Amino acid sequence: MSVRASDTGPARVGRAAWCPRRRWELSDRQVGVLFLLPFAVVALVFVIYPALDAIRLAFHSKLPFRNAFTFVGLDNFRYVLSDPVFWAASRQAVLWTVASIVLQTVLGVALALLLNEAVRGINVFRGLLLFPYMVPTVVIALIWRWMFNPELGIVNAGLRRSGLVAGDIYWLSDPTWAMVSTILLNVWKFTPFVVICVLARLQSIPQEIDEAAQVDGAGAWPRFLHVTLPQLKAVLAVVVVFRTIWTFNKFEEIYLLTRGGPGTSTFNLAVYAFEQATANLKLGVAAATGVIMLAFLFASSALYLRLMRREEA
Amino acid sequence: MKMTQRRGVTRRQFLKSAVAGATGAAIAAPAVLRAQGKTGTVRVWGEPGPYGGVAVDGMNEWAQKNAPGLKFAIETIPWSDVYPKLMTDLAAGRPAHCISVESPIAFQLMAEGLLEPVDDLVDRIGRNRLIPGIKWDYWGAWKGKQYVIPAHHQSHLLVVRTDLLKEAGVTKSPAEWNWNDQLAAAKAVKAKTKQFGFCIALGRTIATDYYVISMLHSAGGRMFDAGNKSEVVFDSPAAVETFEYIAELFPTMPPGAVGYTFLDVVDSMAKGQSGIVFYWGRVFGRAAEVDQQVFANMEAYQHAAHPKTGKRYNWNDFQGWLIPKDNNPYVNEVKQALIHIQTSKDWQIRYAQSLVPNVSPVFQDVATDPRLTQHPFFQTKRRTIFEYYTEALKNASNSGNELLQGISPLAGIAHGRAIIAQGIQRVIIDRQPPKDAVKWTHQQLEQVRREHIRLVL
Amino acid sequence: MALRRSTRRRLRATAVYAALLVITLVTCFPLIWAGLTSIRPNEEMLKTELLPGRVTAAHYRALLAGRSMYFEAGGGAYRASTAPSQHFLAWFANSIAVSVATTVLSVAVSTLAAYSLTRFRFPGQSVVPYFSLLGYMTPSIIYVFPLFLLIVRLGLADQLPSLILGYLSITLPFCMWLMWAFLKSVPIEVEEAGLIDGATRLQVFRLIVLPLAVPGIVATSIFSFIVAWNDYLIARIFINTVTRLPLTVGVMHFFEGVHVDWGLMMAASVLMTLPLAILFMFVQRQLVVGFGAGAVKG
Repeated sequence: MSVRASDTGPARVGRAAWCPRRRWELSDRQVGVLFLLPFAVVALVFVIYPALDAIRLAFHSKLPFRNAFTFVGLDNFRYVLSDPVFWAASRQAVLWTVASIVLQTVLGVALALLLNEAVRGINVFRGLLLFPYMVPTVVIALIWRWMFNPELGIVNAGLRRSGLVAGDIYWLSDPTWAMVSTILLNVWKFTPFVVICVLARLQSIPQEIDEAAQVDGAGAWPRFLHVTLPQLKAVLAVVVVFRTIWTFNKFEEIYLLTRGGPGTSTFNLAVYAFEQATANLKLGVAAATGVIMLAFLFASSALYLRLMRREEA
Repeated sequence: MKMTQRRGVTRRQFLKSAVAGATGAAIAAPAVLRAQGKTGTVRVWGEPGPYGGVAVDGMNEWAQKNAPGLKFAIETIPWSDVYPKLMTDLAAGRPAHCISVESPIAFQLMAEGLLEPVDDLVDRIGRNRLIPGIKWDYWGAWKGKQYVIPAHHQSHLLVVRTDLLKEAGVTKSPAEWNWNDQLAAAKAVKAKTKQFGFCIALGRTIATDYYVISMLHSAGGRMFDAGNKSEVVFDSPAAVETFEYIAELFPTMPPGAVGYTFLDVVDSMAKGQSGIVFYWGRVFGRAAEVDQQVFANMEAYQHAAHPKTGKRYNWNDFQGWLIPKDNNPYVNEVKQALIHIQTSKDWQIRYAQSLVPNVSPVFQDVATDPRLTQHPFFQTKRRTIFEYYTEALKNASNSGNELLQGISPLAGIAHGRAIIAQGIQRVIIDRQPPKDAVKWTHQQLEQVRREHIRLVL
Repeated sequence: MALRRSTRRRLRATAVYAALLVITLVTCFPLIWAGLTSIRPNEEMLKTELLPGRVTAAHYRALLAGRSMYFEAGGGAYRASTAPSQHFLAWFANSIAVSVATTVLSVAVSTLAAYSLTRFRFPGQSVVPYFSLLGYMTPSIIYVFPLFLLIVRLGLADQLPSLILGYLSITLPFCMWLMWAFLKSVPIEVEEAGLIDGATRLQVFRLIVLPLAVPGIVATSIFSFIVAWNDYLIARIFINTVTRLPLTVGVMHFFEGVHVDWGLMMAASVLMTLPLAILFMFVQRQLVVGFGAGAVKG
């Protein structure tokens, strides 16, 4: 069905638009404004204003414990850009994002292919495999801490018993393993998102193409590579960009598991900003970090929009 | 876009104004109540533990007779949350009405001018009542005024598992140890028993700061020179030696210690993970609860002496009560309630007995009261308890009042950022040379001083 | 050796089932393990057998009845209200109240706004949906502190309604986007017919459009509820009083300033996930349709 925003005049043949029949009846114009008003108010006051204020704060410094702001120009940015912890956090964020996205995409596509099979009871599996996406991060972080506890956790117990590892792996106390743990958590939680998007696309691919290739004698892997994958390219591009933007700026998945530790080895920019605000009580510096994150966000969403328009076309 | 005029009010508009009216009324209500006086909840902050609750019970006893509309309520704040909570509450204009906190944080708040002076309470409570040798200043006096009422004192001491030391073949009594003996004992326990040798907190938290500072003091170092406008004097051979010593101890510690904070160390001893820890008295209560065998074999001593200086400094919180002065409608009620519980020997003893031997009494008459020793722990741990109660005071120190030679308000700020913790973590986690880590820490402290120079000039 | 078609199909189905079972078990293992731990008595916590030797409801009882912490229970009659388990029910109630309110408001506001944007002409209206998407992608860490300062100025600091406002700032952009995409595909011919027949715009909206929009509304509700239920950062900054916390921040109290009690924590985790599991069971089909359509397509 064609979709168009309609103007208010022509549909109401025979009655002037401004003349009401009943006292409380509203014209289309008024309905339009009235319906939009709550959204406009909330969006302006609670979304746009704080975002703009965040940018303003980036150029100010707040005394701890007092409500006084002083303009400091670019000082906060200079502080951030000369802080080695910021650069380490950026590097770690890139590493964390790339590893998570690669794993999520590969696993997501594989799972989506599996879930696309027309076997009985597939809906049950679909449901179960999509649930991680909905689990609160707090819950999964706590369960992770319990499972990966070096002395009491089931993961080390399993590794010990199977003889794969001699001693205990200190999952959250060693910089490398802590990074691995946070990546694993991220992959566990968000692969379902990739699965949903890819599955939706897969289900809209007509089966005849694949069946034709099968009849032609093509094996499973070449079929995937040359028939299915090209169909998925557009969706994957969009999903990857989308997930990258999200993952790069994620706060809770890291903070609730490691608090950015051990030391600062799992810091990303969001954790860095949070620590500047709450531990160092430097709201201005946190806001400056936020502005840098926003810049990254704008650049990547421009890319996302361009890709999405191309997929629509 | 043109708007035509409409008479009357739509349902939506009416609702909006009703909500606005209700919100306005809700915001105005507390101010109205304040004007009338004595009703509401007086919020009291304390660190995790039962003693805050005991004190608040005492305050409520006062309130029942003198201000029946008021109720005192305790809120325990995890140590990691003190700074964020202070920031958000003060920013929101609703601080707690009374806070129990350790002295470095109290020093920062009083220097910032956020606290109510309490000189009028000093004589009411007893100017000369303190245990001989300790002064009201230790809790918080600034520019001639007293801002903090002593609640109790709590030191961290050397706590050992005597059975593990025996099993490891350590014969020298911990009472006679120096740093080398301590390291050797830790190594022996690690090598010859199933437990780790040593444990302190090394996470990026305030706990780590406290541990490192007390060792720094024994080694002869300090962070700031309180007598000279808090000039930063951290970078010194003593600091390097302290960092090196901890690095040498680390292999005997649980690897998870790099993320440990206070209660993790408690559990490390109480659940039998480590043979030697530094801890406040709380560890004994926890062990008694969790493992009677462990409890039976635990003993506390003054710290190992530094081989050169001979010093055995411990970290003493000098925990005190303070009263935020802005946006606080209950200043007078809090003062009266504090007088009530501080002058009542009954409440002081109940307070101390709520967590033996962590909560050490500060008033002489309380410390010598026979009822104080009626707690079951005194049957088996009498010597240990008095190490905490009285002996520890001879070696007391903390970062806000280094070597008890003068107060610097910058310490609290440094600890809020866990600067010392980050410094030692550079050695332990990032494997930087101790000299470089000390230099880095020194620079961070100088930055703190620069940003808050108005507090010390 | 060529297999018969039906055999090949059966083999393939078996392989698929096997793969699915293994993957599902691995994926669901954390939650299963949490459940098993939550019924394990404290004495067995050190053992790492898969199944507990003895089953106990003690942890759940502690949460639902509010057991005090060790040093408060034994040390005398001091009821210092510091034990996390004492507040669990309050936290649960807070989460429910705030999540439901956020959902209702998000759906209402975004549906109305989306209808307005797709049916009427405003200057700059084609930009609004894309800006909404941008808003959705902005991580809350960027604006949570200025938002907090605003909340303080409104006098709402440490009050539950401040959470609703905070969550709305997260949910509205995406809900707007979802409903806009959805309502765009609802044909206007039926509405126009109704209007010609003499119905008012409001009646058309209520009686014709809303019923057609139900799938989109369901997707939007699920999304809003999940955002509100799962949030940690905003609640952590906005709320201070321990009895006013929602579940997420409250349950993290099990980890701070308290000796870690794994059984209790896993029981809390299970109870915290339960409402979402129930919600999910009812609406999983809609989730795939609504999400897939909204997020991927335009």
